[in-house]
Amino acid sequence: MSGPVLEIERLRLEIDGAAVVDGLSLSVSEGEIVALVGESGCGKSLSALAVLRLLPEAVNLAGGRIMLEGRDLASLDLDAMAAVRGRDASIIFQEPTASLDPLMPVGEQIAEALTAHRIVPRRAALQRAREMLVSIGISDPDRRLAQYPFELSGGMCQRIMIAIALICGPRLLIADEPTTALDVTIQAQILHLIRQLVAERSTAVLLITHDMGVVADMADRVVVMYAGRVAESAAADALFKAPKHPYTALLLASIPHAALVPKSRLATIEGTVPRPSSHGSGCRFASRCPLVEDRCRREAPALVDHGAGHQAACWRSHDVGLLGARA
Amino acid sequence: MTGTMSGHMSEPVLTVENAAVHFRSRGGFLRKAGPALKAVDGVTLSIWPGETLGLVGESGCGKSTLANAILGLVPLAGGSITVAGREVKSSDAESLRAIRSDAQMVFQDPALSLNPRLTVGAAIGEPLLVRGLATGAALRDRVAALLKAVGLEADHASRFPHAFSGGQRQRIVIARALALQPKIVICDEPVSALDVSVRAQILNLLVDLQRDSGMSYLFVSHDLSVVRHIADRVAVMYLGRIVEIATMAVLFAKPRHPYSQALLLAAPEPDPVRQRAKTRRILDGELPSAANLPPGCAFNTRCPVATDICRKDVPRLMARTDGAMVACHHAEE
Repeated sequence: MSGPVLEIERLRLEIDGAAVVDGLSLSVSEGEIVALVGESGCGKSLSALAVLRLLPEAVNLAGGRIMLEGRDLASLDLDAMAAVRGRDASIIFQEPTASLDPLMPVGEQIAEALTAHRIVPRRAALQRAREMLVSIGISDPDRRLAQYPFELSGGMCQRIMIAIALICGPRLLIADEPTTALDVTIQAQILHLIRQLVAERSTAVLLITHDMGVVADMADRVVVMYAGRVAESAAADALFKAPKHPYTALLLASIPHAALVPKSRLATIEGTVPRPSSHGSGCRFASRCPLVEDRCRREAPALVDHGAGHQAACWRSHDVGLLGARA
Repeated sequence: MTGTMSGHMSEPVLTVENAAVHFRSRGGFLRKAGPALKAVDGVTLSIWPGETLGLVGESGCGKSTLANAILGLVPLAGGSITVAGREVKSSDAESLRAIRSDAQMVFQDPALSLNPRLTVGAAIGEPLLVRGLATGAALRDRVAALLKAVGLEADHASRFPHAFSGGQRQRIVIARALALQPKIVICDEPVSALDVSVRAQILNLLVDLQRDSGMSYLFVSHDLSVVRHIADRVAVMYLGRIVEIATMAVLFAKPRHPYSQALLLAAPEPDPVRQRAKTRRILDGELPSAANLPPGCAFNTRCPVATDICRKDVPRLMARTDGAMVACHHAEE
């Protein structure tokens, strides 16, 4: 397979005419894990929902293309889209218990993904569900198949969600904060499982998270969003080692980590994220940026490639190292 | 503040001795009362003046219940808790009132910790007013000073909580906790609901406040990177018991309890190079129910080195040469 599995081009999402996601472009290749990161309200989750056309009614897909293996999902009608969901592209969410039907045994819910797409009849689907549970390391699969979500722990529910998401063998998996609600030892289990499954199946993964630890653990490439725009995009190692956008640099420096002196001052980002309705023509980070100059307030910087696919949208990318890169 | 056990001239601010908190499902007409759920089961620890003790563990391990017990919010089923020399008796309103001038609390969600109908000034000033410590202009001055101390403006006092961001609200909650100049502040996941950049601001603030006032913190968190940054010593809890307690440096350099080791390995490092260098050893299974604890060491169902003795005898918390205390039959020296 050549070319990316998912290619988002200049995606624009609006609420009441104000852009909440403005010109997001990214691509995910076969077997690759791309992390989309940013703080609450930056538009990362809406972008994920837009891919599967699951946007809330108030949010309008106002422009851009969402190419899944050459097909533009942004232009599909509802029926065609329903055929894509679960079969070609799946999504798992933060709250696995809220994502499952409380009144249906989980085995039926896994099988439903197959029967809904008429891939196999019900009986065979249940058998496949059982095989799926075995392949994701669930012991006693027959008992699990008959259980209801309330009988399962959060970690087990998330495994069931992953089973549902992957049973049709989609080319793309979107994982929206898949471990945020889980404890750290269970998080490690789930991340390991996702890593293992996508490696076996060469699934493309778009991982939405705010946790830089999860990013460091999972991602091949990282796209950092700020206030609806891409601030920086790079291979994970390069991004952590030498960020080229002040927002990324400060975000990384604000996280306590092993190489820091305990109780030393953490970097902070002063101020708050501007509201979508108040965006001017300049860089959206300008009001909080320690490197800001006049030009930043007037003119929004475009994403510029600094080599090896490391892109940043900042007039002063070359000075970001002054902010004190990490040890 | 190194927070070692030796060399303290003063008394600990907080002493927890063999404390137990049990919850019991109430019986009904045809239903017998269930077995006691041992949320906290024989915990002993102390915190010295100016020290920060991190309390870590996963959901359901009893860390928040212990925090609540320290403030007398849940009754003890056994053992004792002493704050600044006074025993916490949850049934005695007068003793609780006295204790709360020495021990205050900051919870996870600042939105839920503030009364939406009370101005910020009224919320912060209430402890002072209730105890008759300040009124009128003196109260206003005190509130203004508290707001400044947490990085807000004096004129914020007249506004309501909804006008503030999450990080600012947590500052308000901290100002309120400081109003009575407590000797210890119990922080229960104080930064978990905040975005990373705001989290750093609050952590910086807590460090600064401690440096200025010399108060102690019990810092309850599931986030090891945060605890490593702020704590002098760390206690690791698993199913109601402390399995290891050591200085921050010793615990992170040489965790001895298999659960502490697993927890440290499971927490992803925000650095891909370091993260890849870590041994990946994933802990199997999940937390057993606290209502139905396995016999012996509660960790034996998930422990990679468990043997027969672990399924029979509860290991005692034993001191090691470097001051660490570990409750494990197999932990190396």
